Formats: sequence, C-alpha cells, structure tokens
Amino acid sequence: MSPSTPGRTRTAPPRLPDKFPFEGRYRAYTLFDATGILYLMLGLLVLGSVWALGSGEAAWNHVQATYRSATYVIFHLIAIVAVVFVGVRFFSFFPKAQPPRIGPAKPPPEPVLLGMLYVAWIGVAGVLSIILAGGIF
Amino acid sequence: MSDGQQKKTIVVTRFDPDQDEAPREQSYEIPVQPGWKVLDALNFIKDEVDATLSHRWSCRMAVCGSCGMMVDGEPRLTCKDSLDQYGDTVRIAPLSNFPVIRDLVIETDGFMEKLSDVKPWIIRAKEKAVEEGPVRQSPAELEEFKQFSMCINCMLCYSACPVVANEPEFLGPAAIALGHRYSIDSRDEGAAERNEIFLGEGTVFSCSFANECSEVCPKHVDPAAAVNQAKFNAAIHWATRLVLPPPTKGDE
Repeated sequence: MSPSTPGRTRTAPPRLPDKFPFEGRYRAYTLFDATGILYLMLGLLVLGSVWALGSGEAAWNHVQATYRSATYVIFHLIAIVAVVFVGVRFFSFFPKAQPPRIGPAKPPPEPVLLGMLYVAWIGVAGVLSIILAGGIF
Repeated sequence: MSDGQQKKTIVVTRFDPDQDEAPREQSYEIPVQPGWKVLDALNFIKDEVDATLSHRWSCRMAVCGSCGMMVDGEPRLTCKDSLDQYGDTVRIAPLSNFPVIRDLVIETDGFMEKLSDVKPWIIRAKEKAVEEGPVRQSPAELEEFKQFSMCINCMLCYSACPVVANEPEFLGPAAIALGHRYSIDSRDEGAAERNEIFLGEGTVFSCSFANECSEVCPKHVDPAAAVNQAKFNAAIHWATRLVLPPPTKGDE
C-alpha cells in the first residue's frame, strides 16, 4: 500500500518585522528613504526654474522672488538637512560596498576612502555655491 | 524548585493550523536558572509545561542556524542569547517575513530555492584533471571571500530585511551573499553567469541598503556588503557586455 500524500499544511501568513517602519533602527532607514520625496520636490523646483529661465526675465525674476519667501527658505533648510543626512548615511556604508578588488587594484583603506568622499562632496558643494553666488562667471 | 528562584514570563506566539484561524499569544511563567539561554526556556516549556509547543533547534551553539526566532521584536538565535539580557517578560515569535507552519516553526522552502538560484558552487570553464593536482588558493585570496562563507543560513537577515517584507520574491541577503562568495572565489570562473542572474528582477538592485541584515547577522557575515559589492560587479558586467558581447558556446 503506497503511503498517502498529505495536502500542504495551511500556514499563517508572514508578519512584517515588529519594529518596521518607525521603531528602532528602521526609523533611520525610513527617514533615509523618505528623503526621496524631498529630492523629487527639489527636482521639480529645478525644472520649474529652468522653465522660467527660458520664459524670459520677468518669469525668472518672479521665480527668484518666490524662492525668497519664508515657505521656500524653510523648505530648502529642511532639504539641506536631509541632503546632509543622506550623504553621511550613504558615505558610512560606501566603503563596505566596494568590491575587494577592481582588476589588480584594491580600494584604499576605509579612512582614506571616507576622506576622499567628504573632500569631494564639500569641494564640489563649495565650488557650486561660489558659482551660484556669482563669484565665478 | 525553591520559592526564591527567579521566574520569568515567556509570551510565545502559538499557531495550530488545525485549530487556530490566526496566531495567538500564550504566556508561561517559568522558573529560570542562571546562565540559561532563551532556548533553554523554550525547551523547559516543552518538556515540563506544554508539550504541544513546536520550535526548531539543534546544535545549541550558534552554528546550525535552526533556532532563529523573534525575541522581543528582534530576530535572534535563541541558543545564543542569554535570558538575563531580557526583562521579566520575554516575547518570542516566529521569524517575521516567513509563513508560519506551526507555533515558532516557519516555512523555509522559498529560502532554499533562493539559495540554489545563485549557483552556489565552483564553476570552472574547464575542470582541472585530478593528476594535475588541486586548484591552489593563497591565504590572501581566501580572505577576500572568507567572511561571506561564514553564513549559517539562519534566515535572521531575511526576517530583518524591509525589502523582503514588501517584496517576498526578493532574492535576499543570504542568497546574494552566497552567490557573491563564489563569484569572488579565485577558483571560480562563473562570475559572469551569476552577474547575469544579479541583473534580473528581484535581485541585487532591489536592495535599498537598509543594512538591517548586517545588524542582525550572528556570524558577522555582513551580507549588506556582499549585496552592494554584487551590485557594483553586476553593473560593471552590464557595461562591459554593451561593448563586448559574451562569447557563445561555439567560440570556446
């Protein structure tokens, strides 16, 4: 007599991790991912600025005046905090995301790699700030 | 048992598929001994209090990966965690992100399939003849992948991963780390094949670098590092493929 083949056991559905999404370490992760909304809004603002730039001096001046309002200043201050948060968090993980070697070359030691990242970030941000403030060109 | 013996309340998630519509909690107040691990408390409950409790365990020394459970909301190896590090009430539940067969026992079929999906074996273009001797590997070459070979398949990383929570088909930290372990093994010649797998949907690029997998890994494998290194390698493979199409079988 061949053995019976029992049907598949009924299972309880998977549960989400208890602390997801706002407790413990997940809070930082959720905030990190939520900054995507700010990046989207910043991107739309940049597109709007470029559109105004192509629409004539009056449109451009109107956009500049809008950006001086309290709402936009507060938004951009929040955005700066978010960008710094994203940068610091991403840079903290960046060294271990590097492959052990690229061809024959190994990545530099972690402190050197981190230093290079921060120097590049601050350097580029500084140059852009000077250009936007009219210091160059 | 003396009256002065320390007691703890263990709140266990129970589920009997034949009787329960959904998982429920059941509390057990038990005497605990100094030096007990969480697993000792569960075994005491099963041996002395309620023989119907079902849970997996084996080695009792954090090498088999069988006893992973949620302890006070964190995925932990219950044989490794001392009961002293928890309060008077300890909540034990099955690992999150997995279907539950019964009580603390989860269904692992999907996980096993994901492991085999990454071709977790040495791939050689042409096998070396036995009489030619072994394929040699230096200690430095071993160090490049050794940490990724320490995985005990305990699935704590899957339980912690927010991407697995929302995308059950995601290949996941342990499987990707396993595939990456072989791809960076100097004896292996199958990196290109695995990179093709990693360019597919639900693989490395679904990872959003939460790093929770590495936080909970009891063997310090750092699967987040493996996944993101695999992203880099897969991206390089994709770019290289645009310029240099892969050789066809007849060309070899």
